Amino acid sequence: MEVKLKLYGSSKMLSDKEILNIELPNNSNIETLRVALSKIISKKYLKNNLQNLSKTAAFFSETDEVVNDNYKLKNKELISIIPPIGGG
Amino acid sequence: MTLHTAIVKADEDKISSEKAKEFIISEKNGAETIFVGRVRNENSGKKVTAVTYDVHDQAVIKSFQTICNDAKIKFDKSSSIFLEHTKGYVPVGEISILIAVSSGHRDEAFKICRYILEEIKHKSPIWKKEHYTEGNEQWLPGHSLRPKEEIK
Repeated sequence: MEVKLKLYGSSKMLSDKEILNIELPNNSNIETLRVALSKIISKKYLKNNLQNLSKTAAFFSETDEVVNDNYKLKNKELISIIPPIGGG
Repeated sequence: MTLHTAIVKADEDKISSEKAKEFIISEKNGAETIFVGRVRNENSGKKVTAVTYDVHDQAVIKSFQTICNDAKIKFDKSSSIFLEHTKGYVPVGEISILIAVSSGHRDEAFKICRYILEEIKHKSPIWKKEHYTEGNEQWLPGHSLRPKEEIK
């Protein structure tokens, strides 16, 4: 299966595009997505200070609600990654 | 209407304190407070030229409305609130956020303004990337929205 990860804040360093497609095993949840993200970061992006992103990020569903690690992902689902915030 | 919230695209428009003052004025409310946040030219010893604000539009507007309505319930239901935050590339000196409040009395007007600002920093999905005079840039660290007990 595949999820479409909409990038915000520091996660934009992961791609030049707004959405990063990530391949995951079938029946994956947010926890699986964190593991996949951690692997992507450790392969290519460690020097960008993204080491903690897979742990500290929250994720929003398409209804803009925070989803927990047990949330079951659907194929092609659009999920927003929400790195630690700091506006104002 | 006593509540206005918006995200202003920096390359299309500017946040206006005049517009905010017009919105909040009311014969019922004798106290007004206005908080203006601007991009400053220094942070942690680095010379800053601009900040790019990234925003999750729908979630930010939802959070702004919740925060402002909570503030009204908590401090003064008759208050008027104007809240705008910018999005995009904002040079030093320009406005990034404006909160304007009118309320029956000064104490509530100050409290509402402060409450909204602090809640935004902890609840609204907004991110800052600083641009420096040396030509480099950096996303700033922030507050995680993931529950603390889940972070191993």
